[in-house]
Amino acid sequence: MKRTLVVLALIVIGACGQGSVPSVDVPPLEPTTPSAIRELLESSDRPVVVNVWASWCVPCRSEAPLLRQAAAAHGDAVRFVGIDVRDTQDGARSFIAEFGLTALEHYFDPSGAVPGDLGGRGVPITFFFRAGGDLVSIHHGVIDERTLALGIDELLRAGSG
Amino acid sequence: MEFGLLAAALLAFGSAWGLLRLTVATEQRRPAFDRMISAAVVGLFVGRIAAMALAGTNPITRPLDVLIVRGGVDTGFAATAALTWLAFAGRGDLWRNLDAVAPASLAGLAGWHLGCLFSGTCLGTTTSLPWGLTAAGGVVARHSTEIYAALAFVAAAALVAAARRQVTVPGILAAATLAAAAFIRLATEPLRLGIGTGPEWWYASGVAVGLGIVLYRVVNARRPRRPPPS
Repeated sequence: MKRTLVVLALIVIGACGQGSVPSVDVPPLEPTTPSAIRELLESSDRPVVVNVWASWCVPCRSEAPLLRQAAAAHGDAVRFVGIDVRDTQDGARSFIAEFGLTALEHYFDPSGAVPGDLGGRGVPITFFFRAGGDLVSIHHGVIDERTLALGIDELLRAGSG
Repeated sequence: MEFGLLAAALLAFGSAWGLLRLTVATEQRRPAFDRMISAAVVGLFVGRIAAMALAGTNPITRPLDVLIVRGGVDTGFAATAALTWLAFAGRGDLWRNLDAVAPASLAGLAGWHLGCLFSGTCLGTTTSLPWGLTAAGGVVARHSTEIYAALAFVAAAALVAAARRQVTVPGILAAATLAAAAFIRLATEPLRLGIGTGPEWWYASGVAVGLGIVLYRVVNARRPRRPPPS
């Protein structure tokens, strides 16, 4: 009886997790450099949230759904940019497809030079930039809902104030 | 390693243990604390799995993701699982066992919320009140929402601890604690920032269930008892 319940629970959990995100066809990511990202930030007329991720990074997986929700909720006022570092194109594309991260603009940085140039280290990292490219804050490690919401709210208020 | 959350957890367990020392007899203290710790672990585990499943990540194919607690824990599932476990672990004398850990649970929640000082998640919506704080690199003053919640939990823990000698009907303290905890979270929720839907319905349900049990226990205690068959 006990074993049946455990198996049943595992099946339910498995079913909950399967197929919640629709499979999408993701084009190859555009390669980038530190200077190209600097230019993107300086020329942006909207605040930018830059998330550094990789398909091999386990913590990145846990914050990916949050970034998808944030991009869906604030994508009209804030630009969400993903920098995929030290990764393969195939790994990156399947990661984006798995988490439905198509609302973010993704760039491919196989050398991992961009986050260091922006002032961060490690993966994942989330940077918050005002319109025009001024850095507001950096969050090293997994970002939680409160911290991400606070960072976005600060960007929006800095923009409107 | 997530040191902010670890510090918050240590603060929570330390606060709970501190109040258990004041409110529970020595011989019952250890089992009560063990029940609380196991309930917290079960709650975190179930809440994390629920959050993963709801976000579209399969916990079976991605078991390591369960460990990334900061990625999100579903509050409603976590609280329900923790309470269920607490009730199951103390089923021998359900109401008295739940009453015994009630004040310490509120103290633990106070410690957990105060842990925002380590994890950097204290601030909420904007305010013009003089005690508002500005985030690092921020432009506006904000409510210290989690500190408000921590203070409210401290006050509730003190009230429940003080009332434990006056309240003689088993189960009332535990149910009042559930209602108080859910109410504090519900009342502070509008001051929190979030993405997507909040857990307000879970909190409202917690208040209703807690008050319902208080009412049931009071009415049940006043009902005249049938004399045992001779």
